[in-house]
Amino acid sequence: MPGHRTKGFCASAAALALCAVLAGCGGSGESAGGGKVVLRYTWWGNPDRAERTEQAVALFEKQHPDVDVTTSFSGYDAYKQKLATQAAGGDAPDVMQLDYRQIDQYASGGVLLDLAKQKAVLRTSEIDQGLLATGRVDDVQYAIPQGRGTETVAYDVGTWKKSGVPLPGKSWTWSQWADTMRALAKKTGKPGATDPGQSEDAFEVWLRGQGKALYTEDGGLGFTADDLTRWWTFTDKLRREGAVSPAEQTTQLDGSVENTPLGRGTSVTDANWDAPASGFLALVKGGVALAPMPSGEDGTPGQYFKPSMFVGVSANTAHPKEAAQLVDFLVNDRQAAKILGASRGIPVNETVRDEIGPQLKDFDKTIADFQASLEGKLKDPPQAPPAGDNALQSTFQRDYDQVSYARMSPREAAENYITEAKAELRS
Amino acid sequence: MTTTAIPTETQHVPATAPKRRPKREREGAAWVFLSPWVLGAIVLTLLPMAVSLYLSFTDYDLFNPPKWVGLRNYVQMFTEDPRYWRSVVTTVTYVVIAVPLQLALALVVALALKGMKHGKAFYRSAFYAPSLLGASMSIALVWRAVFNDGGTVDNLLGTGGWVNKPGWSLLAVALLTVWQFGAPMVIFLAGLQQIPAELYEAAAVDGAGKWRQFLSVTVPMLSPVLFFNLVLQTIQAFQVFTPAFAVSAGKGGPADSTLVYTMYLYDRGFVASHMGYASAMAWVLLLVIGVVTAVLFRTSRSWVFYASEGDR
Repeated sequence: MPGHRTKGFCASAAALALCAVLAGCGGSGESAGGGKVVLRYTWWGNPDRAERTEQAVALFEKQHPDVDVTTSFSGYDAYKQKLATQAAGGDAPDVMQLDYRQIDQYASGGVLLDLAKQKAVLRTSEIDQGLLATGRVDDVQYAIPQGRGTETVAYDVGTWKKSGVPLPGKSWTWSQWADTMRALAKKTGKPGATDPGQSEDAFEVWLRGQGKALYTEDGGLGFTADDLTRWWTFTDKLRREGAVSPAEQTTQLDGSVENTPLGRGTSVTDANWDAPASGFLALVKGGVALAPMPSGEDGTPGQYFKPSMFVGVSANTAHPKEAAQLVDFLVNDRQAAKILGASRGIPVNETVRDEIGPQLKDFDKTIADFQASLEGKLKDPPQAPPAGDNALQSTFQRDYDQVSYARMSPREAAENYITEAKAELRS
Repeated sequence: MTTTAIPTETQHVPATAPKRRPKREREGAAWVFLSPWVLGAIVLTLLPMAVSLYLSFTDYDLFNPPKWVGLRNYVQMFTEDPRYWRSVVTTVTYVVIAVPLQLALALVVALALKGMKHGKAFYRSAFYAPSLLGASMSIALVWRAVFNDGGTVDNLLGTGGWVNKPGWSLLAVALLTVWQFGAPMVIFLAGLQQIPAELYEAAAVDGAGKWRQFLSVTVPMLSPVLFFNLVLQTIQAFQVFTPAFAVSAGKGGPADSTLVYTMYLYDRGFVASHMGYASAMAWVLLLVIGVVTAVLFRTSRSWVFYASEGDR
């Protein structure tokens, strides 16, 4: 078959050529954009934060015409999974937003660049030293907090006022809070709050109000099954009374404000962090205001100022200088601060904070005023949580599902959680 | 150029050579053609499998180098992890619901199509469409919306959203699978058309009604196809991921009710960063699917009828 062979060879040659082309395509990643330096910058957040960040990044690109920044963002749950996978593959973005819970893991895994190496372009002198220290692991500055946040009870002002229940004051205890939620539910016909039983954050506030902590200093569990049983018994009762959201709604929480009962218009309040609470504005017609988290029965506050939204640079970045410039811009630039406002919490750069503070408007001002009202009243933040906490956050929510769907008693679920948590923290 | 070379070869080379050489050449060409696939199989399948086998004996958190822990992952899985067993029970429940329902529906529709005189091609395509769409994430998301609070099902039946009820959520996932009955249906239809018409005629002459014909002619003649579909769908059902992931919004909830095996595997690997444990789970799944398939093959001897065996 003479013809056969020729065709065969031509085809295989073509196939090989195609392979070569495909392989060639794979290797040419970095240098796109006409000789410009391309930086990848990723964060998590709501659309409001995304819009402001895009504006700030555009300004940065204007100031640095040779740098092109490609950005991407998503909700926190999806973000942390994607980032972990990218980091493991040695493909972490050049500049990445990190949570307090991630710093330890990412720093010790060699993902992050020692920022001191880029001192020349990345200024830290105007940042509160205590806050700055929260981005250090083993005395190396791996990340810089962009703001500080605290938890809050965000509420639907219109609905609350209409109900006739007195508006929240400067402080309340957990039992006063519970009574208020019952009253709201009775008057408005919908639950007063998101069931806080699913939230490790809310549990931490409750624990701290009793002088306890989520974790001990050496990274073990700081509470017992009895503590957790009491907490879940408390929230389980409220749920059965209809004072907080039913299981069907609580289970739909995914870290976005859109999927909270308050965001869906099916409850009057939601406990959340103050910066993301800005997302409620677009969802709640009656307006949103912030009240403090409930305190212990003797008035001990449980909430704290948490360094939030760290920003770090990948150890593998091809452009450490430009990446550090972007970080510097996000943290120290006056104009950037004006655009970003309090979308990542109140700025950490003290000069910027003093300068920008009075100019903050709308919800940024609400957050600033809320934080000012708590200034000096709160206890020191806990140290950075151990690496296992990352997984335990979702374990907590899942185990509470068993309680809210009445498949387990609070005691059973609490003991389950303690077993899982101990295994997680051991490994 | 090459065309001239061939005739000279075939004419002048000793008699034994032409037989061997073209064969070798053909093999060479075959390898060239296969190379994209072989490369892909080695780089994208075999190597990762080998690595995952190694990782299954380690503690690997994605950030630090894997630490060898021997059989600890396997021991933990079988003796210390109640959630693992819950995911096994959920998966088996899912397989037992989804596979028979899907096959029954596929067979019924195939039978109906076989009897059609007009529009067979249209309906065949129409019923096959969900199988093409169903694997996609977007359909699974639509499914979630349909079965969510205030969704179509809630409005029609007034049952509330299935996806937020632990007793109902797995059924919503299973229905998504059942709805994709197109592939087995097409295979059934092909099988039905292979059954010789004279068998039905002979049965009719012997006084067999439709039902009798179905039981005594269709079922035995179709049993090899039924067996093929059963094995294929069972293997697929054990690996179900996308519908459970999308319908539960990535959490396997509510209350772990849609936490099928691969969802838990994903949770361990990508949410909790225990890649070693997740790898061990993957290997156990592979073994279990192998065993289940072997059992199906073993039992098939008693119920699958091959027409060619009739003479023996």
